[in-house]
Amino acid sequence: MGLLCHVPMSLVAQEEHSRGQHQEKDVVLNEVVITCTGTERLLKDAPVQTEVITRKMLDSYGGSSIQDIISGLTASFAFDQGDMGSQMQLNGLGNNYILILIDGKRIHGDVGGENDLGLIDPHNIDRIEIVKGAQSALYGSDAMAGVINIITKKREKEGLQLENSTRYGMYNDLRQHNGVNIGVGKVTSYTNFQLQHTDGWQNTARQFAEGKILEDTRTKTVNEYTNWQIAERLTYNPKKNLEFYADGSYYTKIIFRPTDGKYPSCDVYTYNLMYRNASASCGGKWEFNEKKKDVFTLDVDWNLHDYYYKYTARTYEYMKLNGEEYGEMNNEWYSVPFYPGQKNLQSDQQRIMAQAKSIFHLPYKNTLNSGLEYRWDYLHAPLRTVDGSASDMTAAAYVQDEFDWIKWFNVTTGLRLVVNEGFGVRVTPKVSTMFSLGDFRIRLGWSQGFKTPTVKEMYYRYLHVMGSSTIFNMGNLNLKPQTSNYWSASGEYRGQRVTVSVTGYYNKLDNMIALVNVPVEEIPSDVQMAYMGDGSGKVQARMYKNMENAQTWGGDVNVSYKVFGDLTLNASYSYLDTKANLYDSDHDKMKEVVIDGMAHHKWSASAVYTHRFTSVYKLGINLNNRGSSMRYYENNGNGKPFQLYRLNTTHDFGNENKKVTYRVDLGVDNIFNYVDRTMHPYHLGTKSSGTKVFGNFTVRFKQGKKLKAYKTKVLKNNNENED
Amino acid sequence: MKIRSFLLMAALAATSMFTSCEDDENGANNIISEYGVNDKIVAEQKATSGKNEAVLLVAFGSTWSNSFAAFDATKKAYEEAFPNADVYFCFSSDICINRASAGENGESRDYYEPRYLLHAIGAAKYSKIYVQSLQVIPGEEFANVVSCVKKFMNNGYIASAHLDDEYLAKLDEEKAIFLGMPLLNTYEGAGNDVDEVAKQLNELCKNEAAQGVVAFMGHGNPDNYDSFKANIRYSQLETALKKYSENYFVGTVDAPNTYKYDVHENMKNAGKTSGNLYLHCLMSIAGDHAHNDMAGKGDDYWNNEEGEDDSWYEYFSHNGYTTNVPLGSNNEPQGLLEIPGVLNVWISHTKNADFLEDAYHSMYPEE
Repeated sequence: MGLLCHVPMSLVAQEEHSRGQHQEKDVVLNEVVITCTGTERLLKDAPVQTEVITRKMLDSYGGSSIQDIISGLTASFAFDQGDMGSQMQLNGLGNNYILILIDGKRIHGDVGGENDLGLIDPHNIDRIEIVKGAQSALYGSDAMAGVINIITKKREKEGLQLENSTRYGMYNDLRQHNGVNIGVGKVTSYTNFQLQHTDGWQNTARQFAEGKILEDTRTKTVNEYTNWQIAERLTYNPKKNLEFYADGSYYTKIIFRPTDGKYPSCDVYTYNLMYRNASASCGGKWEFNEKKKDVFTLDVDWNLHDYYYKYTARTYEYMKLNGEEYGEMNNEWYSVPFYPGQKNLQSDQQRIMAQAKSIFHLPYKNTLNSGLEYRWDYLHAPLRTVDGSASDMTAAAYVQDEFDWIKWFNVTTGLRLVVNEGFGVRVTPKVSTMFSLGDFRIRLGWSQGFKTPTVKEMYYRYLHVMGSSTIFNMGNLNLKPQTSNYWSASGEYRGQRVTVSVTGYYNKLDNMIALVNVPVEEIPSDVQMAYMGDGSGKVQARMYKNMENAQTWGGDVNVSYKVFGDLTLNASYSYLDTKANLYDSDHDKMKEVVIDGMAHHKWSASAVYTHRFTSVYKLGINLNNRGSSMRYYENNGNGKPFQLYRLNTTHDFGNENKKVTYRVDLGVDNIFNYVDRTMHPYHLGTKSSGTKVFGNFTVRFKQGKKLKAYKTKVLKNNNENED
Repeated sequence: MKIRSFLLMAALAATSMFTSCEDDENGANNIISEYGVNDKIVAEQKATSGKNEAVLLVAFGSTWSNSFAAFDATKKAYEEAFPNADVYFCFSSDICINRASAGENGESRDYYEPRYLLHAIGAAKYSKIYVQSLQVIPGEEFANVVSCVKKFMNNGYIASAHLDDEYLAKLDEEKAIFLGMPLLNTYEGAGNDVDEVAKQLNELCKNEAAQGVVAFMGHGNPDNYDSFKANIRYSQLETALKKYSENYFVGTVDAPNTYKYDVHENMKNAGKTSGNLYLHCLMSIAGDHAHNDMAGKGDDYWNNEEGEDDSWYEYFSHNGYTTNVPLGSNNEPQGLLEIPGVLNVWISHTKNADFLEDAYHSMYPEE
């Protein structure tokens, strides 16, 4: 695993603890962040503006998924949950430009460029750090929109800890989490299981198809799905300053599509979608200069992400036969039937990564962070690539120096060198400066990004049948790498009760890669007949192309106000504008296109109240509001503006000193029952099903060494209250 | 020890995942099994009817409800025209077959794929077989029908699903395999297809042509797929129609130089710049193209970035014409199969179909 998972989370003491029965007091120490520089920093002293969703916020919000959490607690993100993935956007840029890390390690596998956020167990998150723009040299220059680093909960080294959490909501929304942690001698084992299921829902039965509005289709707004994951991590600490680990995980997800469709033109599906994800990794960390905490880490990991069609009715697939068993039909394009229960591989993505990283504390208040990275991506897709498979190799080296020049001025500079087998060598610089004046901070940043076309963007080609639309998507071997320049400026005040931050940014992308409409002639002639679509040959061809340029700019404002000890008010607002130009070769002119899903205004606000009434009962109330102005799309209409209200109450029974503790969450999502009933296939502002009641029950058991009431490391200014 | 055993387990798990991909390699078995399914259906039909001739109608397919009705009526018309034959209907589009058979649409709509259905007809040993293309022009789709029949005659199947070679030889010897040509096949000589279809269309539209301009929208092949140069049939048809009235125009969705812009240009050159315009679909059924590309109304069909997605209805309405889309008794635009006189041209093609020369080649040439 990456560097981050080795940073002892015990350093991060942001959770409330009880101190005896009559001394109840919420103490929240300064938040520590790690994403921007790889070294732990107090949030207020992080040289790069970092947004944090704290454990406290997560606990009081009681989110059902990463999407629920991020969209509810920040304003910069937009989601459009689809079958293929999360369709997440950060400041106007999609999944492809957002690097999602779990403990510093990038998650793997995508379908149509969308990551599956179901891979992340919401119950296993300690906090989420968000750094916008390609500001960090550490994680790859392809994070042009930003980095989301999900820091998982730190587990005890000794004793036995068990955790069960079951969440249930309307539409059969079930979330199950189990954790087992055992520490024996120098070895610790942690096993995590999670399951997510919903029956899905239908906001409207209306659908525009067959040239008219059909009133009774069975197309769902969100389809039924089930996914589960089991993960195991073993750590071995032969010495205090040395740690080795090995971990692995297995995940599977099935998306069930309507099998009782009514109209062959738009709501009939003959297969479900199935995904499998597996990982194995090992590595170690050595703190070789205990006093200065110089660190060396080494990680090697392997990941697999498979995507299948799983058939529910006899389905002909037009395939090129390949194998001696076909006799004289070998190499012929043929309609091969698949029967219910059978599955058919669409893509198998594998990745091998090796990383070596080090942190040296140098004289004159310099901290040098350097590393080497090797990444090999492999795509096996017999039905979706010309040659059956393709691969890509990228190596990178980086150095980053944090220089606390004078007390009130920090400058962090980084260089990342990327070597790609197909696209050569590129160096991307990153510079951040921070001025500190008491509780005020001013941060300025500039960074360059560089992103080579992915294997899928180059080689993948497939037919996408969605409702009544039939689209043939094609890779493009003539793509150029994308580059970006990101500028940001922010001002921040972090006082005892009030925190305010204002950030402005401008992100300019050159050669941005997008899937754009192209003439149907571009479809390879050998597969054209099979892909003519719905009977009269209506198929839209789309190809990955470089846009001339794209720009996103905007501002974020975050305010937090502690009204009194138990009540805090938070508000976030994000303004965004975008502009993208595509060269139109047919008409020999530039044409301005919308970056799909862009909304000018997004916000989230919450009132959080927590109070410990007795030594064994604590109440939490979280009232949340979030919303968005109209979302713009190139095709199929714009998404309506919306705002949603949500209430969650938490009830903690017991305290940290007890062997068994219980927690109950009861809540209502979308209190005022706002439902976007725009007919299919037009865009919705939100896919919320309307008012949804949910409850969550958690029980925790621990035996063996007691948790320390406080495991803190003395960091600068750690006596201030902060959320 | 724990680490070692874990790594071993991880390696084993990874290996099993790689190999489990293999269990999806069931293509050949599925193909053989599907031959079996089709063979059974046809054998049962033959046993029930006791007929010894078969007509296989090959359409591209559709997922539109009104098209299914048109296909049903076509099959019925063929059953009446060929009382001694079992009539089978198939789709060459996999997606249409998949969706039609899974959709709950009144009754089950099981369509089959021509290669499987033809195998079944061969397995049932019908003594005379007609394969009729329901395409409009002898273009790319028709080429696939030809290739499918040739494969059949050459026993081009997986070894365990081979047909009786003697039976195929007999079909060849007795000149009992026929290929019916698409609608607009001949264009020369008396009673050629182009003239005959023009006549039928004029019968249908002459009142409209008297009141304004009539434009037919065909499909056409994109340039790089126009292997038979069949796109020319559209301009030949236009010429034939113009013998009846200068108000007839023919265009297509996909064939270069016949797009809506070109049709508009031709109208302007002929001095027809305004007035009534009637739009008709020149495809076997009125499906997606007819409803959207031709008759689509409203903002979604106008002023698209490229203009290519603008419907003919909106395009011509915005260019000064009073545009109409005449509907049939089912309140839908009509496809060519729904025009009795035109359907009769197809039926006559089947009745007068030529024996498919030189298609059979024995699997055992040494014998």
